[in-house]
Amino acid sequence: MMKAVIALMKKDLKLLFKDKMAVFFTFVFPLLFAFFFGSIFSSSGGAKGLKIAVTDLDQTEKSQAFVQQLNEASEFRVTETDEANAKELVRTGKQVAFIILPEGFGENYGGIFSGQPPEILVGIDPARKAEAGYLEGSLMKLGIKRFELAFSDANEMIKQLDFSIEDIQQSGDMPAEWKSLLSDYLPKFKELTEQELAKQPDGAGSTGLNFGADGDNPMMPLKITKEEVSVQQSGPRNSFSITIPQGVIWAIMGCVIGFAISLVREKTLGTLDRLAIAPISRTQILAGKALGCFAAQAMVVTMLFTIAYFILDVRFDFIKLLLAVIAAGICFVGVMMFFASITKTEQSVAGMTNAFLILMGMIGGAMIPLFAMPGWMQSISHISPVKWAILALEGAIWRDFSYIEMMTPLAILTAIGVVTFFIGTRMLKLKQS
Amino acid sequence: MIEVRGISKRYGDLQAVDNLSITIEKGHIFGLLGPNGAGKSTTISMMCGLISPDQGAVQLNGEQPTAKATKHKIGLIPQSIALYEELTALDNLSFFADLYGLPSNLKAERMEWSLKFVGLQDRARDTVSEYSGGMKRRLNLAASLLHDPEFIFMDEPTAGVDPQSRNKLFESVFELKDLGKTIIYTTHYMEEAEKLCDRVGVVDKGQLLALGTVDELIDQHGGHSSVHIRSEAGEESFMTANPVNDLMARLKDLTTVENLSLQRPNLETVFLNLTGKQLRD
Repeated sequence: MMKAVIALMKKDLKLLFKDKMAVFFTFVFPLLFAFFFGSIFSSSGGAKGLKIAVTDLDQTEKSQAFVQQLNEASEFRVTETDEANAKELVRTGKQVAFIILPEGFGENYGGIFSGQPPEILVGIDPARKAEAGYLEGSLMKLGIKRFELAFSDANEMIKQLDFSIEDIQQSGDMPAEWKSLLSDYLPKFKELTEQELAKQPDGAGSTGLNFGADGDNPMMPLKITKEEVSVQQSGPRNSFSITIPQGVIWAIMGCVIGFAISLVREKTLGTLDRLAIAPISRTQILAGKALGCFAAQAMVVTMLFTIAYFILDVRFDFIKLLLAVIAAGICFVGVMMFFASITKTEQSVAGMTNAFLILMGMIGGAMIPLFAMPGWMQSISHISPVKWAILALEGAIWRDFSYIEMMTPLAILTAIGVVTFFIGTRMLKLKQS
Repeated sequence: MIEVRGISKRYGDLQAVDNLSITIEKGHIFGLLGPNGAGKSTTISMMCGLISPDQGAVQLNGEQPTAKATKHKIGLIPQSIALYEELTALDNLSFFADLYGLPSNLKAERMEWSLKFVGLQDRARDTVSEYSGGMKRRLNLAASLLHDPEFIFMDEPTAGVDPQSRNKLFESVFELKDLGKTIIYTTHYMEEAEKLCDRVGVVDKGQLLALGTVDELIDQHGGHSSVHIRSEAGEESFMTANPVNDLMARLKDLTTVENLSLQRPNLETVFLNLTGKQLRD
């Protein structure tokens, strides 16, 4: 009689959503927890900006100046290294992107009126679209500075004009009309600049010439060539990959406490008597309660992982995650049933379940990540179902567990769930009869 | 018909019900009268299959109350308000109807009938927590009638109810009797038992002390009537087994009677005579 079991589940979910505190602790608090601690860990790990590896293959004055600009920019945290290491750092996820300044960068960086824009090679994981856009924008901003440098310093401008006039004279592929125009225009421009410079007091040679806003300049600041890098994940992709499993555990704990209380409440209110005389078995009644608890867990986990995927950039193996969520659900439904069976009042079940789950959460990694625990605490954590649930979730998110490796936490969670569910339902049936 | 044969139930050192036997005819209102802790709730819990007797047996139309087919014939109105107060009356009734597997058209019909029966059709969409105590009691009754049970067990249904709701509930009990239902009604109010019940079982300390109609119980266990007269001869009181004849005889000797009262024995005196204590002790 599945209809009755579904009716029990629907009723319990309705009751859950009517209880504002339960909704907060089941749905809102875990999200706040994951977001808050994820943001804290995230900002403490990258306060200065994107971590980039920079390789200067040009080794000219201009290229070194550009690397210096990168170092000074607040948008970046720069590690200077050779090309192979730069690519490896990005591939292994230790740096977000690499930037390579190829030979000839400095020559083109100096050419304002002739030649090619300076070219740089940028390597980044194609999945990191937001960082890629941010990186490109920041590099363009720095590239524009080469115009600022040229137009704001008269001596630098005269040098640029000399270089360009010579380059144009030697150019064989420039159309004759352009060659004629620029050969006429640039010497006059240089003469005008020299006259302006002469008017300046001694030592003020770098005074700006006010040629207009740099943002309006149509010339390209940099030519960025992108290279996609397949990142070999060797740790959490970001801090939310750690805090989301913790948030999931808090959500599951909220469900367990809520449903354990509701089951005891059925006893104290007398509604369990109504259910007991209905033409459904006691197993069906308890199955309905278990299904309600499981469905609530599934809803909150789906919500958390949807937000994690689309907003917090958390990636996971869907099948492994599904297995982890099901095993954790079975485990904690059993725990709920066990605590509901050994307590008599709503206060006692709330107190006992809270105390047990918070203790298990503390030693199981729901507060401090497992990998951040000292060795002795990691050993103790084996007794906590929370530890195995987090391990299974992390296995699907960033630990890159194989299916064989997933088996251990999945089996332990399922075993805990089956044993506690069996004991709980037996005790409830005995108490009722 | 309900047949209860020698049922007993013990909780630790407490003998809650001790070898209790009764037979209740179809369409009767049967009252279990006794003080708090007498074993009334335990008795009807065994009668409706909620708990198993340690000894003895209960049969409803020849079947055990725990049989699935029999469960469809049982309606229990628990002593507590066994409803989900956070939900509306409709949500509550819909949920309980689903437990009995009522098809959707019948479910809607029975929900409407139940709400109308207890006079709550206008408040059907309100959450139960907004109801008064009396309204909750009425909805508690409605939730037990959705599946049109043949046997209705009411465990102290008027506890904590205002007089208006109590009268409404009495009317409902009589209407259910008119519909041919068999009703088992526990109470510690002798007035309720006298007013409602065709037959009454008096219980104390888990034992059935007496069984019969109200008149039979009074005749057998009520003792004498009490007569009080104030006249020109002064005040006098006497007990009599034949109050009408004895009173007529005494009045012949008096010319002016200022006050006359005749107190017939009731279930309270039946209980007092049977146990040596008041019903509410």
